[in-house]
Amino acid sequence: MDGVRVGNRLIGTQAPVTIGWENVPRVEGGPVKQFVFTWFQPVMLFGLILFWYYAPNSIAKASTAIGIGIGFKILLMSLEWVNPRFRSWQLTWKELVIDLFYVGLGYTVLRMIDGYIGDGPMTEAVQHWFHWEKFGWFTGLPLLLQGFLIAFLFDFGQYWMHRGMHNWYPLWLPHSVHHYITQLNINKGAVGNPVELFLIGLGIGGFFDFLPRAFMIAGAFGMAVGVYQHINVRFNSPRWWRFLFNTTEHHSLHHSQDFEATRSNYAGSFIFIDRMFGTCIDGEAELLGMEGGRRMTVREQMTFPFTEGWKSIKARRERRARERGRDLSGEGEAIDLAPAGLMAPEGAAAAAA
Amino acid sequence: MASIPADTIPAAPPPARQMNWRFIDWIWHVRGSVPLPAGQSSEEAFARLDPLFGEYGTTHERRGDTLTFSKKDQPAQDKMSVFDRGMLWVEGAAEGTLGGTGAVLRYHLVSKTLLFCFCLPLLFIGFGQLTIGLGKLETPAAEEDKKKDDKKDVVPQLNPIDKWLGAPAPEKPDKGDDAKGKDAKSKDAKGTDGKTKDAKDKSKEPDKKHSPTAAYVFAGIFAALYAIGRVLEDRLVKSLLRKRLAGT
Repeated sequence: MDGVRVGNRLIGTQAPVTIGWENVPRVEGGPVKQFVFTWFQPVMLFGLILFWYYAPNSIAKASTAIGIGIGFKILLMSLEWVNPRFRSWQLTWKELVIDLFYVGLGYTVLRMIDGYIGDGPMTEAVQHWFHWEKFGWFTGLPLLLQGFLIAFLFDFGQYWMHRGMHNWYPLWLPHSVHHYITQLNINKGAVGNPVELFLIGLGIGGFFDFLPRAFMIAGAFGMAVGVYQHINVRFNSPRWWRFLFNTTEHHSLHHSQDFEATRSNYAGSFIFIDRMFGTCIDGEAELLGMEGGRRMTVREQMTFPFTEGWKSIKARRERRARERGRDLSGEGEAIDLAPAGLMAPEGAAAAAA
Repeated sequence: MASIPADTIPAAPPPARQMNWRFIDWIWHVRGSVPLPAGQSSEEAFARLDPLFGEYGTTHERRGDTLTFSKKDQPAQDKMSVFDRGMLWVEGAAEGTLGGTGAVLRYHLVSKTLLFCFCLPLLFIGFGQLTIGLGKLETPAAEEDKKKDDKKDVVPQLNPIDKWLGAPAPEKPDKGDDAKGKDAKSKDAKGTDGKTKDAKDKSKEPDKKHSPTAAYVFAGIFAALYAIGRVLEDRLVKSLLRKRLAGT
């Protein structure tokens, strides 16, 4: 495959990808369908922001947010049936069970663990150690600005964490599990090794004091923007939307089987962060996954970072022992490379090239 | 004419043990049969089914009128991805000859996912119990937190712009309210994650913080999903095989 040059990178040399908005298919159907799938995303986002801005205090609380979140996801799952982006991504019973298993872990065990060692306790510990107070002035900002800043700060942190995961082998190991999914569905964002799910949820929001209502507005960005990363629905997202926000198109490229394409579109909600740092690629991919589309079992998803990490350490030790042996004997043989599967992303790229 | 007992399958436990498993193995074993179209030979039937076993991660072997397969790391796009191994055989048709009325394709399929889903309610009930247990262990610490909170009950003021736009003014935090709003740990829920932790635990009642409700809700969801999946996947695979045999 020749690939397409994007800046100084060649995208799509290993697996088929579509680059450029002009090449991405549009929603097919009558004017009503076109209208709905063009304006659904902005209407939902602005509707949620307005709701959280004006809702009475008795309603503007977390239980309402959770209820809306569940209802919204059910609505989006129905849209996946009505207007799927790709038939090959259509949800099956098995995928639903496994997706919901991870969603369930997020609502139960991971939340419990996060309560002890997540960013909240860590922030408190840092504040206590350095005798810092929260940034109380934050609550004096306009609500919408507070809401945006909370969402932006979290996404900015997540961008670098995510980028780190694709560039540093110890972080890549837990994140790689999420890249073995072969289709995108509304709950696929929850699928991954629990270590990664913990890491990706870390943020610095705990340093700030903010109004609960501002937090709800920030949550609207996660619910009505970030949620579209892993959805199997074709939208005609408006030009300004796809310039500012992450879309399924962007995220499908990130999950494609093409190595270079995966090293792009790291942000969760605000794709303009990728544009700022030169890692944004506009386009989409249907063929997703790793190792040609190998789908990990749940057991492997749980153990992979540890087993692969151990294999890597063992391989490195053996290599060093061989090197030492050669040095002592004065031989100059070529050193074996570690198996491609054990390499960090950079190593895998070099091997592929 | 090949006649394979429905309870024999490669890689299955030895017959003595299998007898015991038969009482419960319906949980993750799917058995059934599909009539062959009139005049279809076993050779032709397996030729039509062959593409189903050419998927990623699938290996299969055919001996006479019997086909065995196993799958490893099968992708979601595989029509039979819910099954991990199995056996299909034709009864009532002589090898290489045309099968008459009564020739059937029988199958015996094994799904680890069905077993996994069957066990999930128990796992999540366990999570619920664990949450309650931790809540009991932590009650004294939570009471201390509550004392600290009492000192910090300051009602923040709205920005003048928000007052002008008519946003409701914040109220004094209610100890019983659920201001936490922590969403599930998922990449697309991150917007809601963490931030709450603040307003959060401070104003939480310990029994809410350690509520097993979510775990029990998921236990119920998986119990329902198992019941649906056991019936649905049975019907889907029957329909798939029937369509393939009919060539539609």
